[in-house]
Amino acid sequence: MLLDFNKLGAWKWGLTAICVLMALFLLLPILFIVGLSFGSSRWLIFPPPGWTLKWYAELFADPRWLGAALTSAKIGVIVMVLSVALGLLASLALVRGTFRGREVLRAFFLTPMVLPVVIVAVALYAAFLRLGLNGTLVGFVIAHLIVALPFAIITITGALETFDPAIEDAAILCGASPWEARLRVTLPGIRHGLFSAAIFSFLISWDEVVLAIFMASPSLQTLPVKVWTTLRQDLTPVIAAASTLLVALTVLLMIAAALIRKGKSE
Amino acid sequence: MFSAITAGRRGSGLGFALPAVLLLFAFFVVPVAALLTRSVTEPELGLQNYAVLVGSSTYARIFFNTFFVSGVVTLITVLIAFPVAWALAIMPSRWASIIFAIILLSMWTNLLARTYAWMVLLQQTGLINRSLMALGLIDAPLQLTNNLVGVTIGMVYIMLPFMILPLMGVIKKIDPAILQAAALCGATKAQALRRVLIPLAGPGIASGALMVFVMSLGYYVTPSLLGGTANMMLAELIAQQVQSLVNWGMGGAAAFLLLVVTLGLYAVQLRFFDAKEAR
Amino acid sequence: MTTPFLHINGIRKTYGPVVASDHVELAISEGEFMTFLGPSGSGKSTTLYILAGFQDPTAGDIKLRGQSILSTPSHKRNIGMVFQRYTLFPHLSVGENVAFPLRVRRMGQSEIAEKVKRALALVRLDGFEDRMPAKMSGGQQQRVALARALVYDPPVLLMDEPLSALDKKLREEIQVEIRRIHQETGVTILYVTHDQEEALRLSDRIAIFNKGKIEQVGTGPELYANPATHFVADFIGDSAFLSGELAGVQGNRAALRFANGQKVVDIPLHGAGRQGQAADLMLRPERVELSAEAGAEGASLPVTVQDITFLGNCTAVAARTDWGDAMTVRLNFGHPLAGRLARGDRLHVRWSPEAAHAFVRG
Repeated sequence: MLLDFNKLGAWKWGLTAICVLMALFLLLPILFIVGLSFGSSRWLIFPPPGWTLKWYAELFADPRWLGAALTSAKIGVIVMVLSVALGLLASLALVRGTFRGREVLRAFFLTPMVLPVVIVAVALYAAFLRLGLNGTLVGFVIAHLIVALPFAIITITGALETFDPAIEDAAILCGASPWEARLRVTLPGIRHGLFSAAIFSFLISWDEVVLAIFMASPSLQTLPVKVWTTLRQDLTPVIAAASTLLVALTVLLMIAAALIRKGKSE
Repeated sequence: MFSAITAGRRGSGLGFALPAVLLLFAFFVVPVAALLTRSVTEPELGLQNYAVLVGSSTYARIFFNTFFVSGVVTLITVLIAFPVAWALAIMPSRWASIIFAIILLSMWTNLLARTYAWMVLLQQTGLINRSLMALGLIDAPLQLTNNLVGVTIGMVYIMLPFMILPLMGVIKKIDPAILQAAALCGATKAQALRRVLIPLAGPGIASGALMVFVMSLGYYVTPSLLGGTANMMLAELIAQQVQSLVNWGMGGAAAFLLLVVTLGLYAVQLRFFDAKEAR
Repeated sequence: MTTPFLHINGIRKTYGPVVASDHVELAISEGEFMTFLGPSGSGKSTTLYILAGFQDPTAGDIKLRGQSILSTPSHKRNIGMVFQRYTLFPHLSVGENVAFPLRVRRMGQSEIAEKVKRALALVRLDGFEDRMPAKMSGGQQQRVALARALVYDPPVLLMDEPLSALDKKLREEIQVEIRRIHQETGVTILYVTHDQEEALRLSDRIAIFNKGKIEQVGTGPELYANPATHFVADFIGDSAFLSGELAGVQGNRAALRFANGQKVVDIPLHGAGRQGQAADLMLRPERVELSAEAGAEGASLPVTVQDITFLGNCTAVAARTDWGDAMTVRLNFGHPLAGRLARGDRLHVRWSPEAAHAFVRG
């Protein structure tokens, strides 16, 4: 009864109300930023006295915003490629391997996800001080790879676990060498998992704040670092404009992910 | 069974894991271990950093803030997330998918963008204060940022999806026939909820709550933007020790405490609630 | 002696202390349909995997036309296989699935098209080239798998319980197809199953596996009429076993005595046995009869009716011997006794001479 929506009686409306309120609680702040970004008030009055695109103009006029976005994109793409590649190899070992301690290894791979990022950030910051990697592209990539990899591994092992190894065996008996079988049969078979892992990895790197704050230098900073430093000075509507663009990107990636999921179910 | 048979012919596969293992070892295990080592070697060998950390009332305040805020955030999150997850699990899929999309949108939206929204909404001249005043509920604006109230609101906002999504999976797995049986046995809705549904979802709730609590303990961005320097939490302390005070020993010690609590609670989670089942 | 087409020569496979197959010896001729029949864990699949090259034997050899194939890796053995689970490549269409073995052999485009068309026609799936596997039923998927395994004309086709995931009706339908395909192509088939009916329906010969060993090899009728061991007698057919001991042995004929002193005589004995050894009397159900009167001395036994179940074409009568062994006798529909039995009735079980066998236990 409690698990049949239509038999809940009055409770049904209570639950629906909680759901709607929660959805508004989650959604309104996002819509609020979008509204602010087009509002003319420098002091973030809402509803705004008038509408304008000047915050976007200001955003695009400032080469530091654009440079930061470009840096973030560059790092994100590199992290995405490496994370999927390393994640795929690690997942093959975890799912198809026969060595002892696979479960321990799996737990080890997931620890960077469990530990508070601030610990990883401080530890890497110290290590990079010695190696001279703070404020470098390599440093950012390594740092982001550490936190993106667990998500790639979870996604790819998930895909690999549902892919019957007998299919790979069938390919081998059909005359494909083991590597040919992996390349022509297993990889296409788990491509949805690989795409999801790629999107996740990119997004994690693109949005990552804490590691980047420690690593950044005035000459090289990511978009979140630029938002962070601006935010600590004042709450300018330019941030609302930047945030709105980030939300738009999120929506696009969500649609991409939904399409992937749809492709998988077909 | 088949896979084990075939894999046996192709080698153990451990080599495939090597690149990832080396990466994590060099840039995760070693740096974290080095940081923790510095907590007992700097400024000199010994446990003095920990003595200071445990002994001083300033730090006691920070520990209290951290655990108190995390606890309150977890409690509020559970109270909201359970009915929402329950409703989402059984709602007609059209409605559910809309709410689901909103949850995902919120979860995937840049953390700073979300925190920025709350900074603006909660400030003295922000929409919330002005609305409350316009409604005549308050005479003077409430102080909602630069204190733990703001931190709590911001954190609940961020943690909700992490609680709702796994909990929804747990409730979806419960066989509706069990609740039908409870009704046939004479249980009222309230009794069925208290004696059947909540106990059945219990492990999922506990596991999700533990996860939210652990994540909250180590959260950095939202507390530092919404909480201000006067209301520091543990993660901020670590960052401050290292960045502003360049006191690696204290930073390492605080990191060690956070690490122990986190891993300890994580172990509890693995031990008592099969993480795979809850997912 | 001529070289057999396929020679499984003393294959032994152990995993640590576990012996999965033990000295499996079998010669298979070209074009034969050979079935490995046995319960799970009896070593039949292990033997098949060794043939496929998924596993290496601990000892022994496998020779195809006199040449050992053990050092050839799986993908170069040129052996076809249909698996228990659906193993079509999910991202490829039916046509591309069947073309896969030809593509990895770098065959020409027109030749591939030609062969794919022929293979799909063989399994009666003409025109399904562009269908995706996920959109097909399990039976269709296994037929595509069969086409894929045959398209490169392998000398040997392995089938590992290919129908076990299908429901009974579909299974019988595809069994007919497999027989037809076997006759049309003349390919040598090694078929693994735990279903005796399937084995009897399909095979030229059956090898009965038990505990890693082959217990007996023969045609279906041979195995049924002349089971070499207790296990074979039990596994093929639906027989009753009554436990007693050998009361006398003369050549390959024996007399058995049961716990309450009753005796039966002149039973063919399988395996060597001495007087006093524990032995079972096996009765094939179709040659056993229930009757109100006792038969000839030593060729019938009194029983008590325990339960009567009507099953449509027959009535199953559960009966118990005086020393407590249970057996079931089927009465065809319309049998004079069928409507008149009641629990507790005393009757006699009688049998024709070729229906009874004695097996030494152990």
